[in-house]
Amino acid sequence: MASGEATRGAAAPVVVTGLGTVNALAHSVDDFAAALRAGTCAIAPVTGFDATGYRSRIAAEVRNLAPPDWLPSPLRRRASRSDLFALVAAAEALADSRLDVAAAPTRIGVVLGATTGGMMSAETCLRERIGGRPRRYRKSPLLATPMATSADVLAAVFGLAGPRLVLSTACSSSANALGVALDWIRLGRADAVVAGGTESMCRTIFAGFNALHALSPEPCRPFDRRRSGLSLGEGAAIVVIESRDHAARRAARVHATLLGYGMSADAHHLTAPHPEGTGAALAMRRALARAGVAPADIDYINAHGTGTPLNDGIEAAAIQHVFGDAARRLAVSSTKAALGHTLGAAGALEGLTTILALRDGFLPPTVNLEEPDPECHLDFVPRHSRPAALRYALSNSYGFGGNNTAVVFGRA
Amino acid sequence: MTMDRETLKLKLKELLISGLRLQDTVPGGIADDQPIFVEGLGLDSIDALELVVLIEEHFGIAIPDEEVGKSAFASVNALAEYIGAEQARSLSE
Repeated sequence: MASGEATRGAAAPVVVTGLGTVNALAHSVDDFAAALRAGTCAIAPVTGFDATGYRSRIAAEVRNLAPPDWLPSPLRRRASRSDLFALVAAAEALADSRLDVAAAPTRIGVVLGATTGGMMSAETCLRERIGGRPRRYRKSPLLATPMATSADVLAAVFGLAGPRLVLSTACSSSANALGVALDWIRLGRADAVVAGGTESMCRTIFAGFNALHALSPEPCRPFDRRRSGLSLGEGAAIVVIESRDHAARRAARVHATLLGYGMSADAHHLTAPHPEGTGAALAMRRALARAGVAPADIDYINAHGTGTPLNDGIEAAAIQHVFGDAARRLAVSSTKAALGHTLGAAGALEGLTTILALRDGFLPPTVNLEEPDPECHLDFVPRHSRPAALRYALSNSYGFGGNNTAVVFGRA
Repeated sequence: MTMDRETLKLKLKELLISGLRLQDTVPGGIADDQPIFVEGLGLDSIDALELVVLIEEHFGIAIPDEEVGKSAFASVNALAEYIGAEQARSLSE
């Protein structure tokens, strides 16, 4: 047992008491956990819009999701796709947590990460406006364009009247959201926080990443010698967090602990990471320090692992720098091979993956990994999950422009 | 161009359904004298704004203020009355 056990994140121990998700692999947490263990890949030809003519035409889309019956009619008719994902995931997480929201609604906060918000809604409005019939187009979906609406609809539907924030730092958005939620609990700004991220596919992002030649024409292969780009995905993950005391007083089920997070910035380039990964390493070091966890205590890292030629090698090197000899004991995997890169939702979806790994005792695999890059000397859990008793784990999210965040979780 | 009252009421119901995306509703399910903006159709204030724009685009008739809107939107009957009266007024000007 590692030293200082009682002081892990003991500034104010914070726990995760509710989980919810909708993503390309599953529409519930139980199904998601099963799909992770099965090593399923959800990346397939795009169906949500016409992808003819694009260099890469695949993505991990949420399929066959019907708006739930309990959704009020106005939201059912005009909420954006990313709002819908957030609502479904939050409903599951709140029900799972059994939190009595009505008892103290102003003490329950909401913080989400997002990047494109309701951009798909805006695109549809624009297409109706400028082409085809009828030229008269519905304008109200435009109200769902700003990404702030995702937190607004959660607050409205579930009666959450505490502090509310939506933040955007590209691919690390919802990792930062988890960190902010942790801070709010420790600062006493809220007794419980509904935290996570949501992202929907849209043509603009799909076209943009294609134009950058950043998308792989086949499902991405993180850490593979032949990796050639990322695959996009969509979905949402929401967790409910509170202090350990608050959870204990109401006998809540604890899934895992949220111990700390670290942030850094590369200040290097608009889209390329710093070649020496110093920012990535610093984020991990800061997260470990804040969590009171030593590198040797980490059993598993859920990597940013996009499958781009640049990211994976730099991330592997940064892990080596931070963990040194302890890196030989580490398992490192990327969930983006299964779920795609879910941008604003990535930090939350991959945080959820990490929580499930700790709770259920397994290593999620890096699917599609057939020839591990010989330059990266780490156990990337290729293709198949393995049972493993994990004590502490870390999740990396590196945003475009070098916005690096690492989050440390522990077994309950 | 005016149309007879029954055709107008049917067109209004179709407009409510298509314009406000009421997927689970059919014209036969909307009674002529049923309140539009109460529980029944699940509409809210943003739907009211959209309806104002739809009426203007489809019939060229303006709803000048909230007071007029409240009484015109009371039911399909009320709306058909209002449109009919406005169309007759503009013809006679």
